[in-house]
Amino acid sequence: MNAVLTLARREMAATFDSPIAYIAGSVFLVVTGLLFFFGYDGSADFFAAREATLRPLFEYAPWTLAVILPAVTMRLVAEEKKSGTLELLVTLPVSDLQIVLGKLLGAFGFLAVTLAVTAIFPIMIATVGHPDLGAVIGGYVGLLLIGTAFLALGLLTSTWTHNQIIAFIVGLLLCVFFWTATDALLKLAFDRPPLALELLSFRTQFEAFAKGVVDIRNVVYFLSVTAVAVVASTYSLQSRHWK
Amino acid sequence: MTESSSLQSTAPATVIAVRDLVKQYDTKTALDGVSFDVHAGEIMGLLGPNGAGKSTTMKILTTYLTATSGSVTVDGHDAQVDAIKVREILGYLPESTPLYADMVVWDYLRYVGAMRNYPKAELDKRVAEAIRMVGLHEYVGFQISQLSKGYRQRVGLAQALLHNPKVLILDEPTSGLDPNQIIEIRNLIRELGKSHTIILSSHNLAEVRQVCDRVVIIHRGKVVADGTLDELEGRLASNHPIVVGLQLSSGTSKADAVAQLQGLPGVDKVLVSHDTQVPVPHTIFEIEAQDDLRAQVAAWAAKQGHTVLELRRKSMDLEGIFQALTQDNQA
Repeated sequence: MNAVLTLARREMAATFDSPIAYIAGSVFLVVTGLLFFFGYDGSADFFAAREATLRPLFEYAPWTLAVILPAVTMRLVAEEKKSGTLELLVTLPVSDLQIVLGKLLGAFGFLAVTLAVTAIFPIMIATVGHPDLGAVIGGYVGLLLIGTAFLALGLLTSTWTHNQIIAFIVGLLLCVFFWTATDALLKLAFDRPPLALELLSFRTQFEAFAKGVVDIRNVVYFLSVTAVAVVASTYSLQSRHWK
Repeated sequence: MTESSSLQSTAPATVIAVRDLVKQYDTKTALDGVSFDVHAGEIMGLLGPNGAGKSTTMKILTTYLTATSGSVTVDGHDAQVDAIKVREILGYLPESTPLYADMVVWDYLRYVGAMRNYPKAELDKRVAEAIRMVGLHEYVGFQISQLSKGYRQRVGLAQALLHNPKVLILDEPTSGLDPNQIIEIRNLIRELGKSHTIILSSHNLAEVRQVCDRVVIIHRGKVVADGTLDELEGRLASNHPIVVGLQLSSGTSKADAVAQLQGLPGVDKVLVSHDTQVPVPHTIFEIEAQDDLRAQVAAWAAKQGHTVLELRRKSMDLEGIFQALTQDNQA
């Protein structure tokens, strides 16, 4: 466990050492800021609306996360593969699973810090109205969960290559696919998509969170996706043994 | 192979036992039945040309890779079954010294120590000790990217010996360094050899001669020799040509000299290597013979009135050694 935390600390420091963290963080804050003040079509104009809600922010923030988080995770393993430091890392007395968890936890630190900065929006609302605190917390729980799933997918693609750009692009495609393309594809393929397939979509699973409802089934879903990506990343690291 | 096992001396406890290691990449066989032992306190040189299988052997020893077949035990622990335990026993410096360039030396070594689960108080002590051992104290506050190649190498060594490992595995520890740095790192390795068992790889025979107690030579994924350098050179002595630099007495042509040398008993072949002007004009001849004929050649030159400017057994380059050894094995 110590090794996981040590690695997470080092990854978080390295993330905040690079300009990518600040670019990604700024993009997220600007986009969520626009969503907060104007809504996605101007209909939820903060200054005109009489409603104290963060719903437009919660509904559209996952889009932004799907784009910026692969940029944060792309270096996690790819950079170490390229520079050769991976060989030293995996020959330390730690398991490959510990390495994957440490790196994921480090990236999670970035996500948590970035989301914490957006707390300024509910605080602003609270100064002028009475937002539903439960709904705000529910929304943030949802963003943390879906963000972690995106991070795990990004980490997985980073284990596949020593090229960070490829890791980013494939990670981005994977995240966007899970977020929305399942919806779009399902609608193209079926008049009424089968429930099982519809449930695979991040968007379907996130709907309740955006409304401020924490449903245990949605929680389990995102944790499961994360777990699958963690296991796949571990296998990907171990694949050096049977190549 | 039988030859190599017969050369193994009766030494102290075996720390590393490599048995019939085979590593098959997609289409290429990198290792084809490599076996050797390393004994406690030994500095063992793994010698071979590029692509011979040195790095692959080390990657398997350090549990980075798994062998297709065969086994490695380190201090009684199987590298495949008990990988974490083996990693605790080993310190490893991979080829070309990969380090986190963005980290400060002190922070990096603390990070490695923390990954090795040292409690906080002991951690600082261990890091300070490693820094002292490799002579990095002036650079603890530097970012790794700011260091010269030689000092980066020291950081690499420091991380490898941070936990005072029983065994150090150093993959080409002097490659890419300038001559002064090479000497410093070699001295450091010799110093470390007093308290550690070390395997180092190299394609430089002179380096192995200076640093190592024993050498295992790998060629095309097979062990072609295993023994002390004396044993090895004994095996190779018969193939050593002699180099002689002569200022010929007046009236003797090079062709005459070649003919006369050719006539000495035991000489197989004489070649004119080249002419040189330093320090005085003279000619370098190469003489191939089964035995060491230096005394006879010197006597002949004195009798003929030639001035001998140079007379030595030609030192073999690595390629020559591999040729000799592989021919040896086939014979």
